[in-house]
Amino acid sequence: MRYLIEPFGSPFMQRALAEALLLGAVAAVVSVFVVLRRLAFVSDVLTHTVFPGVVIGFVVAGTGGIVWGALVFAVLSAVLITVLAARSRVTEDASMAIVLTGFFAVGVVLVSRQTSFTSDLTAFLFGRILTVDRQQLVMTAVLGAAVLLLLGLLGKELLFRAFDPAGAEARGYRVLVLDLVLNLAVALVVVAAVRAVGTVLVIALLVVPGAAGRLLSDRLAGIALVAVGTALLAGWLGLVASWQASVNHELRLASGATVVLVLVLLYGAAAGIAALRKVRT
Amino acid sequence: MSEPLLVFDHASLAYGRTTAVEDVHGAVLSGQSVALIGPNGAGKSTLLRSVLGLVDVVAGRIEVLGTTPVRARREVAYVPQVDTLDAQFPVSVRQVVLMGRYRDVGWLRRPSPRDRAIADEALDAVGLAARREDRFGMLSGGQQQRVLLARAIAQQPRLLLLDEPFNGVDAVSQQALLAALRRLRDGGAAVVVSTHDLALAHLACDEVCLLNKHQVAFGPTDETLTPHLLRAAYGGQALELAGDNVIVAR
Repeated sequence: MRYLIEPFGSPFMQRALAEALLLGAVAAVVSVFVVLRRLAFVSDVLTHTVFPGVVIGFVVAGTGGIVWGALVFAVLSAVLITVLAARSRVTEDASMAIVLTGFFAVGVVLVSRQTSFTSDLTAFLFGRILTVDRQQLVMTAVLGAAVLLLLGLLGKELLFRAFDPAGAEARGYRVLVLDLVLNLAVALVVVAAVRAVGTVLVIALLVVPGAAGRLLSDRLAGIALVAVGTALLAGWLGLVASWQASVNHELRLASGATVVLVLVLLYGAAAGIAALRKVRT
Repeated sequence: MSEPLLVFDHASLAYGRTTAVEDVHGAVLSGQSVALIGPNGAGKSTLLRSVLGLVDVVAGRIEVLGTTPVRARREVAYVPQVDTLDAQFPVSVRQVVLMGRYRDVGWLRRPSPRDRAIADEALDAVGLAARREDRFGMLSGGQQQRVLLARAIAQQPRLLLLDEPFNGVDAVSQQALLAALRRLRDGGAAVVVSTHDLALAHLACDEVCLLNKHQVAFGPTDETLTPHLLRAAYGGQALELAGDNVIVAR
């Protein structure tokens, strides 16, 4: 047990843990809807379309501008993607792929003009969870609260729409608005995660917990519970693993990526349990 | 008892610039049931959607419960085809029925004990009260259709629209569906059903609207389901066997 707690003696590790748990829990709740609506690819697109916002925010206002740039692009791309999904002339996946690569390229071009190109790019793409400060924690909490508020306000309706879009439309719900709300929630999670795990790795937080929950439960409440539990466990164990590896084994592991790796391992475990259950019945 | 709940006044419907159905003219009274009959692509689903205000009326008028389709939507229930739904979706039977209450529950709030009671009553009405904790996808197609009808009943509608509710439904479920629809009509609701099944239309409906992109006929079942009119609606797909018997190829 000491092995699992001792990494969190220093304030920077405590902040990293708080950030990982906060982010993990909120993303896990969103991931339940992502899995129900089969929005994994759309989420991936959103993670990439936020990227140029991150770069622009950084160029204009330094580190403090990152969240604001990301926020602007999050809202913009949530709207764009919602409209594209509903009224695309080419197939939806093709138009999404165009948006994804287009936005991403804009980000890369902009960041390539910076002198510290490589290190900046790495930070934006993969985050730096160990350097999270108090202000960032507060920002994550505020964004997380906004996401949970959105889902709390419209959770039932989003469920209805996910299950039966024609029925929801017949009931007078505006499907396009509900889709926008969910895409916005996804985008806000990406914004919250930018500094800590980066725009690329956050996709794991938005998909894997819900997928693990779906493997282990047929009930919505069960899925949500497993999803949140998995995300919290991954945040904790991932930080422990990267700390122990670097302190005791002189092996430097990127913390954010380690958290994601543990998350995927937990998903593997869930898949194993699900397979065992199937054999037994 | 017999006020018109649904009036088509020479209504033509279109998606964008493409006209889908032309010149539908007729009325559905309280307690009545009407079958929409026609070949695939005849505009049956479009006509149902127009009653919900989801399709543009480009000529004429549709009046629902004395007002516009959009304003009446709260009291109009729609039962989609079961096979449009994801059987793997993790919702319980009861959760599906409760969706019929969401509009009355409102944002943020959870369904109240009263909403749950209404939902359970509706499940009872379709004979599936015992299955309410099961996952929706575990039920047979016919049972799923009954659950969707229960969801519509839980909405306490005055007008009920069903899209092909008898497709691939077993005899037991068909009986349960018909009985539940009967009770709704006895309570004063009107029912509009799109169907391929002429025998069922005969059995369950007072009136028939024959469609093939335009209205071929709208009137009492006996006067509408005639070989002559069916041929007009189905074209070469209708085959007269002997006298009044007609086979319609899908």
